[in-house]
Amino acid sequence: MFTLVNGLTTGMAVFLVAAGLTLVFGIMRILNFAHGAFFMIGAYVASTLVGSAPRSVLALIAAAVVAALVVGVLGIVVQRFVLRRIQHVDEHYMLIATFAVMLVCVGFVKLIWGLEFLSVDPPPGIDTGVDIFGLFVPSFSLFIIGSGVVVFLVLDFVIHRAWTGKMITAIARDGWMAELLGINVPAGIMAAVGGSFALAGLAGGLLLPNQTLSPALGDTFLLLAFITVVIGGLGNVRGAFIAAILLGLIDGLNTMFLPAYPGVAIYVGMVAFLLMWPNGILGESRL
Amino acid sequence: MNRTLSGLLLGLVGAVLILLPLWANSGLVFLAGTTMVVGVFALSWNLLFGYAGLASFGSGGLFSIGAYTMAVMLRGGFEGQFLLLIALSTLVGGAVAFAIGFVALRRSTGIFLAILTLALAELLRITLAKIHWLGAEDGIPSIVRPNFSVGLATVDLSSGNHYYWFMCFACALLVGLCWWIAHGRFGRTLRTIRLDIERAAFMGVDTHRYRLVAFTISGAIAACAGALFAPWAQIVTPDIGNMMRSTQPILFTLLGGASSFWGPMIGAFLFSAIEFSTRTLVGIQEIITGAILLGVVLLFPTGVAGAWNALVARLTRREEAKIAAPALQTVKE
Repeated sequence: MFTLVNGLTTGMAVFLVAAGLTLVFGIMRILNFAHGAFFMIGAYVASTLVGSAPRSVLALIAAAVVAALVVGVLGIVVQRFVLRRIQHVDEHYMLIATFAVMLVCVGFVKLIWGLEFLSVDPPPGIDTGVDIFGLFVPSFSLFIIGSGVVVFLVLDFVIHRAWTGKMITAIARDGWMAELLGINVPAGIMAAVGGSFALAGLAGGLLLPNQTLSPALGDTFLLLAFITVVIGGLGNVRGAFIAAILLGLIDGLNTMFLPAYPGVAIYVGMVAFLLMWPNGILGESRL
Repeated sequence: MNRTLSGLLLGLVGAVLILLPLWANSGLVFLAGTTMVVGVFALSWNLLFGYAGLASFGSGGLFSIGAYTMAVMLRGGFEGQFLLLIALSTLVGGAVAFAIGFVALRRSTGIFLAILTLALAELLRITLAKIHWLGAEDGIPSIVRPNFSVGLATVDLSSGNHYYWFMCFACALLVGLCWWIAHGRFGRTLRTIRLDIERAAFMGVDTHRYRLVAFTISGAIAACAGALFAPWAQIVTPDIGNMMRSTQPILFTLLGGASSFWGPMIGAFLFSAIEFSTRTLVGIQEIITGAILLGVVLLFPTGVAGAWNALVARLTRREEAKIAAPALQTVKE
């Protein structure tokens, strides 16, 4: 039971980062190496806003939203000057270009916030635990699980139910045809990319407590998010959600049965998944 | 013209590298040695990418396998058989690459192969960091630079710059090997596969076998580079095979130019030069490196080597035009 909660927390934390990554892949076909860096910028922006001890849950959420806005704007700038130009070249050049963007971001973070590690405490209200059926669960875990589910539901609604999502899906399927039908394609892409980066910033803000902030923060999450996105089927938000839960549970079991080797099972699991379903569990989809 | 010019440049760079310890300080010599090794490592990666069209993001894992094999054997006191140890590390790397390629290449290519190899390398790094016999997080320190004998002669690599010159020699051999592989029948067949896999298969090429062999050779050379690196750095840690190491050859290759044989080497030296000249500027270093990379990708997609070739081609054409112009005039007269 404890394993379950721990696993779900890890899974949802990873999903928060992976959601934006899979969105930008779905529409631009770009595997964005810089995503982790923008997640990190979101975390730094939010930490500057709330300080080392946020006053309330609401303050934390507000800071995360501001971080999402800032990173979303940065994303539109990156889209305008970099991503748009490399959209039609070989995928390896996209990787290298986004890697370069990542380096620039890490450089600016080092310049602005320095090299020291920063840490932020969970705000009052979610800094203790709650008793569920005689089991002590840290309420911050519940906060993360809740945020993950909310983000997933909103995203799923926007993509599969709302008008904007249908427009974006159309653009992702066939940009030329969508343009012919009178859809403003550049605006749609801009919105999707901005949304994707904003999700990275939001994740940075929400996951802020219990993290040690350092310029290397992006790397750890980036790799896990990559894995989630690939296992879920590139560009498939529902697949990413399921994959994140599965990976989280595997990691939870790992800490229970093999506490001496943390983090090993998650990679073994992912290698197994990739070999069994080379196209992801739900198959590749263009959103 | 282009070929002579490139040959001259190559000779010049080689001479500078060999004579480097005579005038440069030890820090610079260490950097040059490291750059040579990672340059060879990047060449091995480009055998896979530029010739077979397969992108591995876990080559750092093979580099670290080579380095760890060497470190463990040297710690075990086998330093007399140094050349054999290099061969052993190369074989181990090749065997691991063969096993991975055997399972993975049939099932996945493109981004899936990239992520799969990335995950395997990360798995190796995490496992290495937990094994106490291999020093866990701290790795294996104080690796000796060996003394070994070939026939009657004894080679002493432990003193002065001897190991540096040994590395120059070994890297030159490896570069020669890569050149031979890339420009022979095997390399040409690989390029056919990369350009059009269906047509190559139709012509009777066993595409899977060729790709698997390329994967194995590339892994073996990467492990060999790792084995050379262990006594040079004198310490191996799990981080020797981290994600940064795996992305190194990719950066070098694309910066230098993937379509050119020398591209990865050029990229390696350019990158080292940039890092060396900006090493004191925390933060700005990353910004400059990133900006240069972005500039190369957006402005010269064929890398530095591609831009150079285009420049030389343009210059020589102009010269030819100059020679041709008077000839035309004489005809008119």
